[in-house]
Amino acid sequence: MTTVTTRTAEMPESEAPTVELDELRRVMEYYARQEWTDGLPVMPVTESYLAEFLATTRRKPDEVLFDIPHLNRTLTVRLAAINAALAGCLPEYFPVVIAAWEAIGQEPHPRRGIWQSTTGTAPFTVVNGPIRRRIDLNSRGNIFGSGFRANATIGRAVRLALLNVFGLRPHQLDQATQATPAKYTACIAENEEQSPWAPLHTEYGFDPEDDVVTAFVIRSVMHIEARHAQVPEQLAVDFADTIRRTGALIHEYSGALLVVGPEHANLFARAGWSKDDVRSAVFANTVRTRADLAAAGKDALSHHTRWRLPADHPDAVPDTASTGPDPDRVQVLPRPTSIQIMVAGANNAGVSAVVEIFGLAPRERPSSYSKINSE
Amino acid sequence: MAVREALLDPTGMDERATEDTLAPRPGSLRGLTVGLLDNTKVNATPLLQEIGDVLTSRYGAGSTRMYTKDYFGTPVKDDLLRQIAEECDVVVTAVGDCGSCSAATVADGILFERAGIPAVSICSDSFRMSGAAMARVEGFPGFEFLTVEHPMASLHAEQIRQRADKVVPDVVRILGVEG
Repeated sequence: MTTVTTRTAEMPESEAPTVELDELRRVMEYYARQEWTDGLPVMPVTESYLAEFLATTRRKPDEVLFDIPHLNRTLTVRLAAINAALAGCLPEYFPVVIAAWEAIGQEPHPRRGIWQSTTGTAPFTVVNGPIRRRIDLNSRGNIFGSGFRANATIGRAVRLALLNVFGLRPHQLDQATQATPAKYTACIAENEEQSPWAPLHTEYGFDPEDDVVTAFVIRSVMHIEARHAQVPEQLAVDFADTIRRTGALIHEYSGALLVVGPEHANLFARAGWSKDDVRSAVFANTVRTRADLAAAGKDALSHHTRWRLPADHPDAVPDTASTGPDPDRVQVLPRPTSIQIMVAGANNAGVSAVVEIFGLAPRERPSSYSKINSE
Repeated sequence: MAVREALLDPTGMDERATEDTLAPRPGSLRGLTVGLLDNTKVNATPLLQEIGDVLTSRYGAGSTRMYTKDYFGTPVKDDLLRQIAEECDVVVTAVGDCGSCSAATVADGILFERAGIPAVSICSDSFRMSGAAMARVEGFPGFEFLTVEHPMASLHAEQIRQRADKVVPDVVRILGVEG
């Protein structure tokens, strides 16, 4: 058994602490040898440190937050807390981690094994509400970058639990062909202060003062470079072109989260566009011609798996659009609400991003949410 | 005052027990009913049909019955598991040629063994590690399953027949056929 020394007394701030380096290295190497990391060093976790995390929630340590029945594994509050501490979270982040798991648990794919899949998706969470400021969650510049402890460690807390508790390790149960850098960590906050619109969580009926986590299962994050845009209709076409790219198509339908930079959001708002107006204008353009799909070998579906494939494939059956009123126009989204919209990033350039949401069947909204309960 | 404390295990694995006993083996397939569990992946059906034909013609199995899973990514549902266990003497399940379905195919084999039915799980060789990891998760780390050469989805009839021929000797060995 490896033990570590903890010290409750605070060090003077001005003075760099001294360490017993051999012990620190021994502890780090122990975690690496046990394969309890994502490749990066982790924070050592003991019962007394764990107690600080458990003190931030009313939920009991043995309550189940999330399970994957076919893997025979359950994530308890205690295990979520150990992995949050391991990820480098501060105890006050833990209520966000709990809400993230509650939201992930409502998503259709995680419980059915999507993180074993070659498709290589990642959990992605968005935080709204005043807690963003209390724990210094970044919502501005470098929104998808590094450098912010709360963003970095809350996303990592989820991933470490998937690795450790569910055994979803690469080359083992996780058979992702390529995956995404978002698998290290992916948690962002909405830039509510520089948004012209009401924040994301108010669309679910919450008060702006409520703290809420929204969970997505994502694949790629792609940038929209449009710093000279002046016409909202053109900007909507630019977003739509990225959403409808043929490489994104798995089954018949896709989903997207627009992470709109403040400059683009204000361009839309100045033209009088609400979020729903943006949604409608983008949706009207997330269409491919039959010829586009045929050129990319994706104009039909497999009758076994419903994956897109060429019409001359032995398993091919016609897609839904081909039996509709206009077979030559194929809409790649099931409905306008398949486009979710939030504002994030710095207010310094006309740059936005499209986050591709993974989904196989049409849903009313391609995400799930949970309220953060802070003690 | 400094105190020494133990580091905590973040996996929760310590609570899990192993249960790694195989179902009793029949010794011969003569007159037995072979269940074929198709997970709906492309070419699973013809691969299982070929294997079933050889088990009937060459090893004297009485009959084969084909079953189909409703979703390839998770293990067989309880009611289908019970039905197959009632109607068949041994089971072959295929084909685990993706991330979730390779693990699910191995889990199916383990579930059948625990229901008392000798079982052979067949994955494609790209997913050997995923199958082995699932066996550990299921508390049956030494569970033996078979692999055929990847990819399976793009094969023609003759290639599928070759894959089946190659794998049959191991199928009958795992099912405990003697001599």
